[in-house]
Amino acid sequence: MLFNSGVFLQFFAAFVLLYWLTRNSLTLRNCLILAASYLFYGWWTPDKVESSSANALLGALWHCRFLALLVATSLLDFSIALGLDKLPTPRSRQWLLSASIAANLGVLGFFKYHDFFAQSCSELFSSFGIPLQARTLGLILPVGISFYTFQSMSYTIDVYRRELPATRRLVNFLAFVSFFPQLVAGPIERAKHLLPQFAGTRVITLSMLEEGIWLILWGMFKKVVLADNFAPLAEMAFDHSSFTATTVILGTLAFGLQIYCDFSGYSDIARGTARVLGFDIMWNFNLPYSAASLREFWQRWHISLSTWLRDYLYIPLGGNRLGTTRTYLNLIVTMLLGGLWHGAAWNFVLWGLWHGAGLALTRVPIFNSQFSILNSQSRRWLSWLATMTFVFYGWLLFRAKSFTQIADMTRALADFSAPPWIGSFALNLVVFAAPLALMELWQFKSRNLLAALSLPSWARITLQGSLLTAIALFWQKKGAAFIYFQF
Amino acid sequence: MKSHVCEFAPKDLLRLASLPLLPLALFAVVMHLGAKSHLLPPPRPALDTERTILIHQAEASRESRDAEVLLLGDSSCLMNVSARQLTEQLGRPALNLGTFSFLDLNAHALLLREHARANPVRLRAIVLLMHPESLRRSGSETYYLAALTNYLGGLDHCQAETAAGQASCLLGVEIFQGRILSRALPIPLPGAYGRHYGFTRDLENLLTRERGSAIDPDPKPFEGSAEYRLAPTLERASKNFRAAVPPGVKLLVGITPAPERFAGPRYPQLHADLLRQWSQWLQADAALTNLPPALPDDSFVRTTHLKESVIPRYTGQLAAGLRPHLSP
Repeated sequence: MLFNSGVFLQFFAAFVLLYWLTRNSLTLRNCLILAASYLFYGWWTPDKVESSSANALLGALWHCRFLALLVATSLLDFSIALGLDKLPTPRSRQWLLSASIAANLGVLGFFKYHDFFAQSCSELFSSFGIPLQARTLGLILPVGISFYTFQSMSYTIDVYRRELPATRRLVNFLAFVSFFPQLVAGPIERAKHLLPQFAGTRVITLSMLEEGIWLILWGMFKKVVLADNFAPLAEMAFDHSSFTATTVILGTLAFGLQIYCDFSGYSDIARGTARVLGFDIMWNFNLPYSAASLREFWQRWHISLSTWLRDYLYIPLGGNRLGTTRTYLNLIVTMLLGGLWHGAAWNFVLWGLWHGAGLALTRVPIFNSQFSILNSQSRRWLSWLATMTFVFYGWLLFRAKSFTQIADMTRALADFSAPPWIGSFALNLVVFAAPLALMELWQFKSRNLLAALSLPSWARITLQGSLLTAIALFWQKKGAAFIYFQF
Repeated sequence: MKSHVCEFAPKDLLRLASLPLLPLALFAVVMHLGAKSHLLPPPRPALDTERTILIHQAEASRESRDAEVLLLGDSSCLMNVSARQLTEQLGRPALNLGTFSFLDLNAHALLLREHARANPVRLRAIVLLMHPESLRRSGSETYYLAALTNYLGGLDHCQAETAAGQASCLLGVEIFQGRILSRALPIPLPGAYGRHYGFTRDLENLLTRERGSAIDPDPKPFEGSAEYRLAPTLERASKNFRAAVPPGVKLLVGITPAPERFAGPRYPQLHADLLRQWSQWLQADAALTNLPPALPDDSFVRTTHLKESVIPRYTGQLAAGLRPHLSP
């Protein structure tokens, strides 16, 4: 189910009503959340099935199949965590955790990477003149699998580390893994933070409601009005057969803005929806395009994934505790795997490598002192410009369909001709980027992501009403899916 | 244990949820008042590829033009003939008002009437060109017919069949999009059309430059069946179209080519029969029998549209077929 669809509006309205009716029973509320989350998830039908299924029954079977995977993953980690809590010896606990990680990554790897690796192996052998028939299975990637697998895995790891006791309430745990506001595209919540919220009475205050409604509106605006209007621009630039510097630069800008508005829009709606229900889920974005260093960018972009990778991969690899070379290597490996997490394609690997190498390079002392002759204001501006250039070139790697396209687009940066439609392209980019830039500048200056809530009542109502009007004007009957659904 | 405690009054919730609706309601009122009082410009919803073409052709039909030869028909007329090249080859100005197969002859007759009203003197010949696939269609698709008639009637393109459509009309969404947005902002065309033409404005400019003709930039595998026939409703629609032809203006009719192997070896005979029958229904002054019924499969980007490289040759054949009927 898409947030930006009429079905979700109906679903959420019905859910809120039932939620209110179950206000006197915690168990009933958690059962309701679980049932609603499974309904929300089961509503999704992969395109391949929709186009090929002859009847609704087949479609329903597909729904159950992927829902079963979600339930199985949750049950496995629930049981393993109980085992981890009981087992006394470190060795047996280690074995159990390994089993959990292997099972989780096995399922994720099978669905997400099987065909990719089979295809890549076949190509590799072919390049050495060894014919190898790759057996690809044409698997459909269950939506949200990367998100809920990481969320569920972090729970067992935290229980193993004795940072969290294993829960004995199955419904609470199932509801935690499948909590519908953040199920399919995050944020990847930590059990330490979210799970206890299912065990207690939630207090819903007026300010939580205000924040929730604001975030839902602003997130929906970013998706429906901004991201969905940047999307055709990015498509026009990236799907073209010939490139020039202007189309590459403006197209990459369009994609960088599209992916940000799309993903942060989703995260805002997720957080807003949870706030309205009395829950607190983490901020996933904190003005990433204001970052003046790559490190800062990763502290502000997809925070739930970058902190997950830090806590469960980078630090266990040794982090920065094992010397300079090993730190660089750890950074590169972490980011490379982070890139691969996004999808089974070599350009994601390259994107991860690009950021890993960037993070390693910016730790070299010479890069830290590069602008030391300038005053702090100019230094920050230059650092920001350099960071954004690096980040947006990274988006080119991320969006490109092949290495050949990356090479073509990079070469085109030396061609300063422009197609006749470039004026219209730039106009669209400016028109849709302006509201985002204004809002983020305000948030940045006030150091408050909820700056809009500090407005006087009449101004806030006008702003919210304007967002609502814009959403109504650009609402698509068949909502465009969020980019991160494919990951 | 309680599930949750609400520390707010119901009126707070009502206030939070309802007050943002006020600016939305105000916007809707302003849009409707602006439309009613003609403070807003008239609707011109050139917001996607189809509507941009439709509106361009409808506008072209209403303007005073130099055209002596008017091309009308479906998308095979729009995409397979270059009106600019035809003008050069005939030495007489031609204008292409071809649209889509989603529109039937009654809709083409609407465009013809508009053109005849704006240009009562110069027109010498009307060339009606349709693909055999369009000839078996039983009528216009509601959406496209409404888009055309609404535009010609100066109405906003509201689709109030569903609850969502009604809400959209009520909120003034179509008024804003059709009267303001389409004028203020060029809209990127999707897919192959975007890559070839760019934005709505670029497509309009090209159509104007090419005297109403376009090319199909979106190759697709051949689809449908080659069991071509004339739809029973075509007879009545043909008579209606004939009635729209101004007196003294010749009506020439042709069927655009199908892919040779796709159409099959018996198609040339079928093509001749279809053309003869249709021409009779139209009471046409002549049928363009010199036009090839089929062309090699590799001449096509899809079942109905020719490749850009083949268009000049086909236009040349059309010019050759038209010359005898245009001599003084």
